[in-house]
Amino acid sequence: MSTETRQNEIVRQQEPRGNIPREARESLAFVDNVTMKFNKVVALRNVSFKVGYNEVVGLLGDNGAGKSTLIKVLNGFHQPTAGQIYLDGRPVNFKSPRDSRDAGIETAYQDLALVDLMTITRNFFLGRELQRRVGPFKFLDMPRMNEIAAKSMAEVGLRNIREMYETVSFLSGGERQAIAIGRATFFGAKLLILDEPTAAISVAETEWVLRLVAEAKQNGLSVIMITHNAYEVFDVADRFVVLQQGENYADLKREETNAKELIEIIAGRK
Amino acid sequence: MIGQIPKPLQGVARMKEIGALAGVLIVMAAFTIMSDRFLTPGNMVSVFTVTSELGIIAVGVCFLMISGEFDLSVGSVFAISPMLGATIAAAGAPLWVGLLAGLAVAAAIGFVNGQLVLRTGVPSFIITLGGMMFYRGVILAVSGGFPVSYLQPSEFMHYLGGRTAMGLRWSGIWFIVLVIVFQIILARTRYGNHVSAVGGNAGTAKAVGIDVARVKMTNFMLCSMTAALAGFMRFGRFRSVDPTAGRLMELEAIAACVIGGALLTGGYGSIVGAFLGAFLMGVMRSGLILAGPPPYWYQGFIGLVLVISVILNTRIRKAVAGS
Ligand SMILES: Nc1ncnc2c1ncn2[C@@H]1O[C@H](COP(=O)(O)OP(=O)(O)O)[C@@H](O)[C@H]1O
Ligand SMILES: [Mg+2]
Repeated sequence: MSTETRQNEIVRQQEPRGNIPREARESLAFVDNVTMKFNKVVALRNVSFKVGYNEVVGLLGDNGAGKSTLIKVLNGFHQPTAGQIYLDGRPVNFKSPRDSRDAGIETAYQDLALVDLMTITRNFFLGRELQRRVGPFKFLDMPRMNEIAAKSMAEVGLRNIREMYETVSFLSGGERQAIAIGRATFFGAKLLILDEPTAAISVAETEWVLRLVAEAKQNGLSVIMITHNAYEVFDVADRFVVLQQGENYADLKREETNAKELIEIIAGRK
Repeated sequence: MIGQIPKPLQGVARMKEIGALAGVLIVMAAFTIMSDRFLTPGNMVSVFTVTSELGIIAVGVCFLMISGEFDLSVGSVFAISPMLGATIAAAGAPLWVGLLAGLAVAAAIGFVNGQLVLRTGVPSFIITLGGMMFYRGVILAVSGGFPVSYLQPSEFMHYLGGRTAMGLRWSGIWFIVLVIVFQIILARTRYGNHVSAVGGNAGTAKAVGIDVARVKMTNFMLCSMTAALAGFMRFGRFRSVDPTAGRLMELEAIAACVIGGALLTGGYGSIVGAFLGAFLMGVMRSGLILAGPPPYWYQGFIGLVLVISVILNTRIRKAVAGS
């Protein structure tokens, strides 16, 4: 199915049912009162979450708070047990991450970011390969994909790449994030989701990733950045949402708080 | 790291088939020295014929293995499909109807394998091990242990396993065609890219929107159907099907894939590598017979070559591809 027909289908299925909440109309994406159960485990309980246009949201919370689950519900990786997702003020019903990618949501997962044994180029284009027609057949357009991936990697400042046919298993944590960010920019995403991008990387690379997040915002994107280090995101995020044990716990603008206070909140002491 | 390998050799080391290619050359050189009847056109042609039937199975097994699954039932399918086809033809229907019926049964077996694996979460190794025993039991029970023959002259049979130019058999031609087609699909098409991704990391594949279950189902069915094709080629060669045909070929096919550079855990491998792996096994079988030692050594040698090549392949892969 072409991207266009898929998108039409996604939109068509969701004729507005009843009133659209005000938050949905004013936000790029709005997760309305979502509950997510895995068998008996309730990972999210009545959680609402929004990200505005051109806004960077820091999504915070202790391990197991439900951060990854929340973004996986938002992008169609999981289908919520209850609740509704809105994008651009319209209810959406993503059946797979493919639908949300087609709708402009690009996600760099904490645990599922890249296929290690595949090359940089193949990871960059995975699921959206460029093809060239030869008679009745379609083949991968490797030269064009290599060229685009190389250019995009240079733009995000990935300098150490020797060849595009190298597998990604040799890349550092920061370089892996850079692939995801470059990919979002190239495919014209509206919303970039980074799940703990700085969990296992050096200080220098953390700064690099934060710079890329700031650049993404300058380019008009919205970003959700998950972390459990409040100091790290404090300067790049406009707003902070804190989850605790699968529930909404706090939602603060940067002006209203400081990193120290956020840490107290995440720890549940405040 | 790749940096440890001298620059000019890096491109060569990156070839997934390099271990198998080296193995073929070394073993062939050794047998050529040991026996002057080994490297003759006649012998090479007969090696290639034996290789073809195993190799066609290995093509499908390798493709499935790269998507992260095993099929141990291929040896039984190798017998059950042509058995059914031969029975239908012997009853008076055209042979092509028998072929289609055999392929349809193979596709159905692949479908069942895939559904059981995907729905129960039991590893395909176990599911298809059960399938291997079950289908073999069915063939033996239904046939009573007797072969089914089809001795009428038939052009159709000829194109399955009959001879063509220079003593080669048609099965050899089909083998080469299948290797080329599957290698191109694997390396140069979107579907092949998804096959590697699904086997390399199913979660990541799902996360970018690839339909993991559909890819695996397709490959289970393709794998079963290539095994059936191979069985029909054996049938075309002997004009009869033995109910024990194909025993151990499931393991030989996996060995061929692994010698050819495929990773048992999926996500990495080469159809051309599986071709070379199958050829290496054919070469050893023939060479050991010609070189003198009792042919019983064949099993032992295959075992040695398998282990040595996997150790080498693992080292090379760590250097060029990580993990
Ligand atoms: N696929 C799953 N199956 C079962 N439980 C899950 C699954 N994914 C997450 N959980 C559970 O949901 C809770 C929240 O997990 P997660 O969203 O990964 O937290 P965080 O990202 O904030 O560390 C945890 O208790 C986790 O064990
Ligand atoms: Mg998480």
